[in-house]
Amino acid sequence: MPATGAARPEAETARAETETPTPLPSTGAATAPREAPSDRRAKTIETRDVNLFYGDFHAVQDVTMKVEPNKVTALIGSSGCGKTTFLRSLNRMHELTAGARVEGEITLDGQDVYASGVDPVAVRRLVGMVFQQPNPFPTMSIYDNVAAGLNLNVGRVKKAEKDEVVERSLRGAHLWEEVKDRLDRPGSSLSGGQQQRLCIARAIAIEPEVLLMDEPCSALDPVATLAIEDLIGELKSSYTIAIVTHNMQQASRASDITAFFNLEETGKPGRLIEIGPTEKIFTSPSQQATEDYVSGRFG
Amino acid sequence: MTTGVRVEYQEELERLEASALGGLDLVSTALSRTLEAIEHQDVELAQIVVADDDRIDGRYLEVHQALITLLATQSPVATDLRLISALLHVLKNVERMGDQCVNICKMIPLTGNEPPADEEMVKMILAMGGQTKALISQAKRAFADRDVELARDLVIQDDAVDDLNRECFRHALQIGDDADRREWAMTMLLAARAIERIGDNAVDIGEQVAFVVTGLFREFEDASHPAG
Repeated sequence: MPATGAARPEAETARAETETPTPLPSTGAATAPREAPSDRRAKTIETRDVNLFYGDFHAVQDVTMKVEPNKVTALIGSSGCGKTTFLRSLNRMHELTAGARVEGEITLDGQDVYASGVDPVAVRRLVGMVFQQPNPFPTMSIYDNVAAGLNLNVGRVKKAEKDEVVERSLRGAHLWEEVKDRLDRPGSSLSGGQQQRLCIARAIAIEPEVLLMDEPCSALDPVATLAIEDLIGELKSSYTIAIVTHNMQQASRASDITAFFNLEETGKPGRLIEIGPTEKIFTSPSQQATEDYVSGRFG
Repeated sequence: MTTGVRVEYQEELERLEASALGGLDLVSTALSRTLEAIEHQDVELAQIVVADDDRIDGRYLEVHQALITLLATQSPVATDLRLISALLHVLKNVERMGDQCVNICKMIPLTGNEPPADEEMVKMILAMGGQTKALISQAKRAFADRDVELARDLVIQDDAVDDLNRECFRHALQIGDDADRREWAMTMLLAARAIERIGDNAVDIGEQVAFVVTGLFREFEDASHPAG
């Protein structure tokens, strides 16, 4: 069942709720007011029977899983198994690729992110993303890099408030002490690890509920990698975090839950094989394919 | 035969498992000699057992270090991680079993050069030793074959060793008033106790078999909370 842009019967999206969720902003609606940091809470992402396609190519098949709040969920699996595609579907970035489509259901605290009328940009504000390669805006200063999301998503903000958000975000990304005296320098002047933390600062400046990270340390040296992992560990107290990684040790160090994706053979769709507490996945997984993958016997 | 990727690592792990389990063969030999030394009051043979314990300790140190190196360099997880953890336990048990043989053999000179004071008690200790050797062999087989049922059976087989140990105690109580005989009996009780501990070590190895296979560690028998 195509989800992108298609209206769906009420019954399909209805679910039992323990509390009334805040509706996702719809297309054309005024930007929702930001919650004060103390009011915000991490949200749960649930997927049900999610299938992802690039044109005729079936990339991901029947994924039903939950990304729990205030936990780090690692998505692991060999190249081409669809984990990054799946990650990108969680904040509607998958549909930015020509010919891409989504079937199934993805909800953020019970709200269907693909429901008709939901603004994809608003979804991406609530579900932020950090990419494999640090991608600060090269011509912008460090300050403006952090404030960029604010300018785009919130509109006109007073200078004093912006200063506060920039400082809070840079502190949250463990970067403030290193850059506080050179906020006007270009973001590209920073080291790779600092640039990635700048991107994380940029992502958290707009106070998302969920942070998606696509191999955020693959371009970093071991020290910068550990710094980012420490940061992820701290950020989970405020955010729901899902991270795609090829680094098994990183998954075991940095995540609470691990989801293993695999595909039977090249050309076949990737599937979720097993999801569970990271400790269990790395000590006694229940599936032989998981065992073989985490043990390095294939992939 | 190892296939696929990480072949050298897998082969090294297999080699270390064989080497750790081979330690049980060394212990079995040490126990055989210990029993012979008890039976014949053979002080020289007892000294050989003491000296040869260096081989068991050497095996412990060598395999232990290699396993730590694998942990540090290969990041083993899942079954491999459980296996390495279990092998570290097996090694510790092997080292302890060797030490128990040494403990017994160090006592043999204390019992003098006279023939054993009580044939009946010696027979019981030899029976205990024979049963314990069977336990060691069974523990090794259970580990190598990842046979949890065979591992669990170690508890039943160990009960026979425990029964003999209690029988030794009852026998020692009735050994009479002669001071030399009583001293001999007390020494033999310590030997029986050491053999009984070796049996317990074999059961501990069985528990590691279950851990490797199932991922769950449960004591087969909890000494502080005995069943029934």
